[in-house]
Amino acid sequence: MEVKAKIKRILKLLAISAKMDLVWLLRDTKYALTGIASDMISNLSTVSAVYLIALRFNGIGGLNTDEILFMMSYSTITTGLFIMFGSGNNIHISRIIGRGQLEHLFMQPLSLKMQLFTNGFCPFTGGGNFLVGCIMLIISVRRLSLSITLGWLLSLIIYILATMTIIVARSYLVSTAAFYAPVAAEEISMTAIDGTWLLSTFPLSGMPAFLQVSLLTILPEGLMAWFPSLCLLGKTPLHFSKYYPLAFALILSLITSYIFRKGMNYYVKKGSNRYVPYGFRR
Amino acid sequence: MLKKDQIDMYPTDFAVKLSKVTKTFTQWQRDNTGQSLIRNLIKPEKRTIVALNDVSFHIRKGEFVAYAGPNGAGKSTTMKLLSGMLLPNSGDISVLSMSPQKQRTTLMQRLGILFGNRTELWWDHPVIQSFEWKKVVWDIPDQIYRQNLDMVTDLLDIGPLLKTFARELSLGQRMRADLAMMLLHSPELILLDEPTLGLDVVAKRQMIDFLKKINQENGVTIVVTSHDMDDLEEMAERILMISDGKIAFDGSFQELRNITGNLTRVVVAMEDSLVPQVKMGKLLSSDKGVYEYDIDLAQLPIKALLGQLSQVEGVRDIEIKKAPIEQVIAGLYRDWTGI
Ligand SMILES: Nc1ncnc2c1ncn2[C@@H]1O[C@H](COP(=O)(O)OP(=O)(O)OP(=O)(O)O)[C@@H](O)[C@H]1O
Ligand SMILES: [Mg+2]
Repeated sequence: MEVKAKIKRILKLLAISAKMDLVWLLRDTKYALTGIASDMISNLSTVSAVYLIALRFNGIGGLNTDEILFMMSYSTITTGLFIMFGSGNNIHISRIIGRGQLEHLFMQPLSLKMQLFTNGFCPFTGGGNFLVGCIMLIISVRRLSLSITLGWLLSLIIYILATMTIIVARSYLVSTAAFYAPVAAEEISMTAIDGTWLLSTFPLSGMPAFLQVSLLTILPEGLMAWFPSLCLLGKTPLHFSKYYPLAFALILSLITSYIFRKGMNYYVKKGSNRYVPYGFRR
Repeated sequence: MLKKDQIDMYPTDFAVKLSKVTKTFTQWQRDNTGQSLIRNLIKPEKRTIVALNDVSFHIRKGEFVAYAGPNGAGKSTTMKLLSGMLLPNSGDISVLSMSPQKQRTTLMQRLGILFGNRTELWWDHPVIQSFEWKKVVWDIPDQIYRQNLDMVTDLLDIGPLLKTFARELSLGQRMRADLAMMLLHSPELILLDEPTLGLDVVAKRQMIDFLKKINQENGVTIVVTSHDMDDLEEMAERILMISDGKIAFDGSFQELRNITGNLTRVVVAMEDSLVPQVKMGKLLSSDKGVYEYDIDLAQLPIKALLGQLSQVEGVRDIEIKKAPIEQVIAGLYRDWTGI
């Protein structure tokens, strides 16, 4: 019962976010469409650049063009989810922290987790890439003639969740700096995530092993699309375990939650001497 | 000891309980000389500010309390401590018998918070959309929501604002909309930090009347801060005065006046080079023909004061105003130290 009530509550919260997103789309249609288009163009240009290279050279590093397309669909789906749940800076949390706006969240009778999960949901203005990603996925799966089983679909979902966890955890990890240096670190999450976005769509197959390993460990860009999509294609690289992304996501989120909590304690002790009145609400 | 036990037996009678709360901040000090730039790299200069110094007070349910004090006294800090946004260095805080930190989510269902310089409205949406959002997030039952919406629409006169975008509201309109939104979940206790900031006389009047009404008719406990004594006196019966992180006075406005006297300030502007030939109160300053007096109406009643002023030759302008809060507090300290 408890769980059921909670799920119902989450759905209601997602629904109100979605509704507000829709009315915004219908009201400020011109701006909204511009926003949607630029989100999609930015992703598609990254993805198609890689795809065109694959076409020209008949694959990249041992992956054929259809496999590259599959990987691009994976990347587009995760980018799409990131945008779809991330309006209002709830993923780029360093902005909220750095601007002293957490106090607006403290006023709500919801746990921070619940708020951050639900309040950035924008399926209408931010769902474009996710949709395109799904279409690309279907096309590539067809062309690869993969046999889709329930187990495979489940593992697809789990890998995507793991990737999302890594994106969010990493953003929150670097965002902790904003508790201590609000002005300097306000944009740190943006820099950390967007700065390496290009790298995360790039197929690492054929690269020197030391590079691959470092991009799976120190800078986990390889876990954004390349590694999980190869796992899903049954080609787990580098003798790593196919459970590696899950383990990485788990460990990273544990570390993040520990460090973020410390930052939060610092914040409620020291208070924020900075406040910017915009950007926490659409 | 006995008294304390009695208090604890009925904890629900209290809306707010602060005991021995201390809150300090550290501020980094910097000036603009090159020398200190280098010194700061090696050993940064810190200053510790005691925003609240061992503060204790209780507020009963149903009270309307004015929390007054000059700039930097610690008013906003207290509000933030009460709403769980800050943690005290030491001391206990209980709000509606809950710990603002540990039981935050439950407390927020029953607490209303409004900072005059911030808005909770969604910028790019009409006001009513923010209200609907609030209904979902606070999980307000339909009937209560509708009832409260009708009430605030009526009393705060926000009907015409409901369909307006928050970003297009004037300051006064925005404050009314924010106040209305805060009340939608029927909070038992509301904390207002400078709600009258920047409002004109009419808007102030409206807000004050409204707050009095919900305090009297709905029994809502209200704590409101301001450094404008006049505003506060209109609203509240009890005044808690804070200065330099300490409670300087706790009692009714009448009691306060008994101690500090009924302080008034009179500014007289004279035609050139004339000096007002009167004896009234204490001359505070005279600058370019503008004379400022401190007058205690308890000693010199208003009628006598006006009589005096009418005698003065060569007056260009006269202004009579309530003494600023700093002066009231100075009066309090004088009373204590006997200067
Ligand atoms: N986050 C912070 N970091 C450092 N110092 C702070 C911080 N917040 C408040 N202070 C200091 O604490 C003291 C009390 O501040 P507070 O904001 O509570 O005053 P206030 O009574 O609300 O004043 P005002 O009437 O100007 O709003 C001030 O000296 C202020 O400089
Ligand atoms: Mg203040």
